[in-house]
Amino acid sequence: MISRTVLLLRIAFRNLMVSPINLLIGALILFGTLVFVLLGGLLDSLSRSMERSVVGSLAGHIQIYSAASKDDLALYGQFGNDSDLKAITEFPKIQEAISKIDGVQMVVPMGVSGALITSGNIIDLTLERLRDLVRARAGQGGREELTSLSKEELDAQIHAEILHLRQIIKVLRGDADRAMADMLSARAVDPHNLEALHRVEKDEFWDGFEADPLGTLEFLENRIAPIVTDTTLIFLRYVGTDLDKFQHSFDRMKVMKGQAVPAGQRGMLISDLIHEEQMKLKTARRLDKIKDALANGRVIATDDELKRFVKENRSQTRDIVLQLDALKTAEMVKALQDALGSKETELDHLLSALLDTTDENFQKRYDLFYALVTPRVRLYRVNVGDVLTIKAFTRSGYVRNVNVKVYGTFAFSGLEKSMLAGSTSLMDLMSFRDLYGYLTADKAEELKEIQKDTGAKTVSRENAEAELFGEGAEVVAEATPGIIDPDTAITSTGRRLREDDLIKRVYSQKELDDGVMLNAAVMLKDARQIDRVIKEIQRVSDEQNLGLKAVSWQKASGLLGQIINVFRVLLFVAVAIIFFIAMIIINNAMMMATIQRTQVIGTMRAIGAQRGLILAMVLIESVVLGVLFGGIGMLTGSGVLGAMAMKGIAAPNDVMYFFFSGPRLIPTVTTGPLVIALVIILFVTVASTFIPAWMATRISPLRAMQADE
Amino acid sequence: MRILSTVLVSSLVLLSSFAVAQEKEGQKPDAPKGAPPIPGALSKDEMLKLLQEQDDRQRNGGDYKALAYLEQKEKDKADVVRELIIFRRDADDKLMLLFTKPKSEEGKGYLRLDKNLWSYDPGTGKWERATERERIGGTNSRRSDFDESRLAEEFEPKFCGTEKLGKFETVCLELTVKPGIDVAYPVIKLWLDTVNHNQLKRQEFALSGRLMRTAYYPKWQKLFSESKKSDVWFPGEMRFFDEVEKSNSTLVLMKSVDLSNLENNMFTKAWLESKSR
Repeated sequence: MISRTVLLLRIAFRNLMVSPINLLIGALILFGTLVFVLLGGLLDSLSRSMERSVVGSLAGHIQIYSAASKDDLALYGQFGNDSDLKAITEFPKIQEAISKIDGVQMVVPMGVSGALITSGNIIDLTLERLRDLVRARAGQGGREELTSLSKEELDAQIHAEILHLRQIIKVLRGDADRAMADMLSARAVDPHNLEALHRVEKDEFWDGFEADPLGTLEFLENRIAPIVTDTTLIFLRYVGTDLDKFQHSFDRMKVMKGQAVPAGQRGMLISDLIHEEQMKLKTARRLDKIKDALANGRVIATDDELKRFVKENRSQTRDIVLQLDALKTAEMVKALQDALGSKETELDHLLSALLDTTDENFQKRYDLFYALVTPRVRLYRVNVGDVLTIKAFTRSGYVRNVNVKVYGTFAFSGLEKSMLAGSTSLMDLMSFRDLYGYLTADKAEELKEIQKDTGAKTVSRENAEAELFGEGAEVVAEATPGIIDPDTAITSTGRRLREDDLIKRVYSQKELDDGVMLNAAVMLKDARQIDRVIKEIQRVSDEQNLGLKAVSWQKASGLLGQIINVFRVLLFVAVAIIFFIAMIIINNAMMMATIQRTQVIGTMRAIGAQRGLILAMVLIESVVLGVLFGGIGMLTGSGVLGAMAMKGIAAPNDVMYFFFSGPRLIPTVTTGPLVIALVIILFVTVASTFIPAWMATRISPLRAMQADE
Repeated sequence: MRILSTVLVSSLVLLSSFAVAQEKEGQKPDAPKGAPPIPGALSKDEMLKLLQEQDDRQRNGGDYKALAYLEQKEKDKADVVRELIIFRRDADDKLMLLFTKPKSEEGKGYLRLDKNLWSYDPGTGKWERATERERIGGTNSRRSDFDESRLAEEFEPKFCGTEKLGKFETVCLELTVKPGIDVAYPVIKLWLDTVNHNQLKRQEFALSGRLMRTAYYPKWQKLFSESKKSDVWFPGEMRFFDEVEKSNSTLVLMKSVDLSNLENNMFTKAWLESKSR
């Protein structure tokens, strides 16, 4: 048996290079295998990197959510919207049941939502600070850092804010004067605004501040602040979660600025990327971007985007100028005059000159900006320690505003620049629940009572005109005056003080667990157990009537998770096309080869070779051809992957940071694509040779001899 | 076509004459005194007069306070209900809304001062600048639904025909906002009862011409005002049907109105803040 196999192998190797057709077939197999091993290996690496990104940043290994939800869970959103998930109200029971499943490490409750954060313009913000100071001085409560100040300290801060406001008014007055000097711009100046500016620039206006601070503030808020239109609108996507559990489960998470939210307290950590991209002074952010671009070899002189950044920095100096009071303005003018060797006295001109950056002066100007300008202005719209007001439309339909303290910013290691991983901020569960606004039985009963008291009739859109204006409708009625007393209508007072206290309150684990959540991440001890644990969760859920749906990280990440699968399908289609063509060519070539070898095969049959031997001979020849060239393809593919792994493949943009799980993808050679490639080669060669081999077995010695004659 | 319009106008005049005759006989008590029936096609002056009449009827020389019920219905969601008090000082163009029910909404409010609309939440102690398009309390009602009517001041009218609305004959006016004025909807169609000139239906359009909201005013109430020395009219019921989210609708009911004088310092941020302190 062995000697027969050795004989057949020898024949196969001898015939390998005899026909040029074999070389063509070999080249095809080599190319197909190379493509498969190379791209398959890259996709495998990409898939593993993406798994690290998704599992490590938001999803965990498995996600659970209510099976009665309207949508499937899509942690990164689906077509720009968040999934509509049914609230889960029995988390402690669910947690207990799932934690008992073998291989489960931790269950982290979650809920994803988003809100728009609006903040007024620079005057609104200054007036808001001044209003808080005035309130604190009058003993009307407010933030602790203000109420704890002495009267003298509050007076000093009020004075400083007034100086700042007067400087802003001076700048606005200058703008208006310049506009009035120009015929075209003058038409756009509202005389109503001019009159208001004229009034507030006078000393008499400010002399009356102490006598009527709130009246003065209202005039400024209603007549002066609307003149400036630069309001900020930030969309903040957040995950409400048990922050302590989250930090322990998602070990790639790291605090970048500030500190973690103290255990059991309300608070949030803003994504560092969002903090930099959307909350930083725009001029500073553009300078940072230019710096990064220059470090990556781009040049201002030829790069349109960088040229635009420089142009915007030069023209948009107002954000900085309006932040300074008279004293700081004078200081900055002096500092910039010295640094630039200029005699210019207007701050915006000096700033424009400073920000006129070129490839040659950029580093010096960048350092000057951070040394002279940023210490005197508010660099971020939201700072660590600030209390952020988040407004959301609750599930019960009411608008809810919640104050949340920002304890710091965070990022996931390796994903610092990925907007996909970094687009979501973290919020404590209690604040999340307040913003979610689940309609409890008590609240529903209260609403029902209000409806019942009013006795309003429901009218459908379709029948509205007939019902409201049909026969018998009386439109006009005499009314009797009623007594309306707002003081008796409002029963719960001191609400703000109570809610301020919430920021300091420490919640027990039971309080955190007992409440609404939308989904939960299940962390496993071994990631390879995902499929088994999903089945176990479904079984436990059915047995205990928990109404849960469990999905892998890949499904939970929605369309994003399917990207790798799409690439994989594309690869298989491409390889299938290559090998299908190869099969046809191999089949034809082997048919021709068989016909050419009729005499040899006939002779072999005449001297006693059985049909089985002939069949084995032809098949082994093909297999040897496939394995040899396929092997070369595999080796070449693995070699190329190995070479790529030495330096890694740099992420071309921020999106790819997420797929690469960092700035570079390090491809690795795994056995998976190699084994699949080998199976494909064997199948293709055997399948395409089978008919010619069978034909060869049908050749009779008599026919071979006749052919010879 | 000409014959048809002549017949239409004549019928309208006849109907109006009939209604006036009924009024004289005391069989139509809801027709206001001095409200002549609207003839068919209207001149610009006549239309402006009609708009001024709408504004004048609802304007009170002094102060105005009303307790209102607000209900929002949305598909697959629980109804959102609220009670609020509306404070108006028409002489100074001031408006304030103070929510009183349910408990979670108590103390929230809106304040309009000098073309600025502010919203306040006592839970956060923050004032936020809102626009004319602000959905009051998240419903499909707007500031202008609760404020003094300023149709003649803010819009240019155009005649757009006559129509029967249930049992009522109406005349339709198309209003386009005047340049430089900020309103929630730049184009409005009004259907006015030809007999007593009440606004019965209103459709509001975006600048693109898309229909955004249809409103019905099936109840108009009047109350004698000492300061005005005549009746002040107010819509006792307003129903808004969302034309974008077709399944959403909003109901506003005026439960009671009080025309007595309000405190002098009432329309201030400090006053609204004090209600929940």
